Amino acid sequence: MSPNQMLLLIFIFCAGSRIRGCFRRWRQPLLRGPQWFFNVPVQDDFYTGPGRTLLRYYRLRMLLPVALEVVLAVAIFVSGRLFYFGWLILAISAAIHLNHLFSVDRSERKARSFAKPESERPVCAMVLSLTPRRLSDYSNRWTEGFIVLVSLAAFAWLLRYYLHSTGALNLRIVVGWPLLLLYQQLGFLFVKYGIVAWRTPIPQPQAEEHLRAREEARKLHLKVCDCCRILITVEIALFAAVLAITPALRMKLINGYWVVLLIGAVALAIWHEKGRLAVVKANLRVRPMKMPALSQVESSGRLLCYQPATPMLLIKGAHGYALNLANRLTQLGAAYLAGLIALFAILRIGH
Amino acid sequence: MFLTIHTNDDRPIYQQVVDGIKELIARGELAEGTALPPVRQLAGDLGVNLNTIAAAYRELQKDGLITVRHGSGSVVASRTATERDQNQLLRPLRAALTELVLAGLKPSRILKIVIQELRLVTKGSR
Repeated sequence: MSPNQMLLLIFIFCAGSRIRGCFRRWRQPLLRGPQWFFNVPVQDDFYTGPGRTLLRYYRLRMLLPVALEVVLAVAIFVSGRLFYFGWLILAISAAIHLNHLFSVDRSERKARSFAKPESERPVCAMVLSLTPRRLSDYSNRWTEGFIVLVSLAAFAWLLRYYLHSTGALNLRIVVGWPLLLLYQQLGFLFVKYGIVAWRTPIPQPQAEEHLRAREEARKLHLKVCDCCRILITVEIALFAAVLAITPALRMKLINGYWVVLLIGAVALAIWHEKGRLAVVKANLRVRPMKMPALSQVESSGRLLCYQPATPMLLIKGAHGYALNLANRLTQLGAAYLAGLIALFAILRIGH
Repeated sequence: MFLTIHTNDDRPIYQQVVDGIKELIARGELAEGTALPPVRQLAGDLGVNLNTIAAAYRELQKDGLITVRHGSGSVVASRTATERDQNQLLRPLRAALTELVLAGLKPSRILKIVIQELRLVTKGSR
């Protein structure tokens, strides 16, 4: 089986594993029961009136990435450039999650006009956890050690291979792809930092349960990030190993890797689903509450603002939310994107 | 370990943070050497200005209850380091006792209240 055919197989597996997620997102508004629309307690006649339209629009928006995926998959298949399935998997995964986050927020905001009046009163007491949240507290030293050692060994070997090769080898070909993988690794580390730093406002009623639910979700997301980082490290090592062996062995190693990857992906999908269900159960045990707005800061900008004294990433203003350019996450994200563009330019992968 | 902030409290948020941390230290829930969350984390969770929490930490540091180490965050200071002038420490107690006497409470009743409050502060079942 060629690598492209294997990529097609992985794409089919990914698309198949997403079906359950589609149904889950479809049912999500009603997960708490018919008295709720996501986390908004709604009036009794909500689903016979305005709720029906809100629900229909939400579900239609959920279908958008699926439709896009089908069109793009057909286009890639017809063009015969099966290599692009790898990028399609990444792009559609990001699109599904962003579209979901945006749609849930938009639907909830619209549903608030039809919420039960008593639910719109914010809680009068908030609870702060005095346990510091640092990236190191959520990192496993064995995982980190494995990632650092394997990456270093792989790069050392690649450099040695380049320096000792007899033919005219291009350095970009030898270290280009591993460098891009390493940059992805850095990206996942950045995502981990964002997940750890994500603000956790907790209402006083059911404080312990709220905190436990959020910690469970946080830990699950962080573990997913770690799995992706391990996979990237293995790919860097595999790239180095592929250069070291004969062409006959090379195909066997790559095919073996794809098979292991597929089996691992199935196991990971099952593990993730179990973890996700535990998070959903923990979330359903707590009653969502409206939090008080303690900050007096409002953004005057439409999309962007600069508020160095405000720690929030998004600041509410008269025209909706604005991205705070003074926030460390925004700055890191911008620096990461700039670095990625620079790396692409250096490696000339875009050509 | 939780710190509760009430939106209908007359005290400003920074004062509630100061008082809350002081209570936890007095009860022994925040032991000597315990690391406190960074200013950014507390301000982010509450959704308030960074200066609000920074002011609270500064006041705690001024009172000798926490030490701020650059790069490694804030930790609860050792109690020997918080030894202050006894007169200075007794001043708020005297003021509170004066209020109670002026309110017409008998000394025996005041003593009872003081013992009860002391138990609450050190054991914490408010």
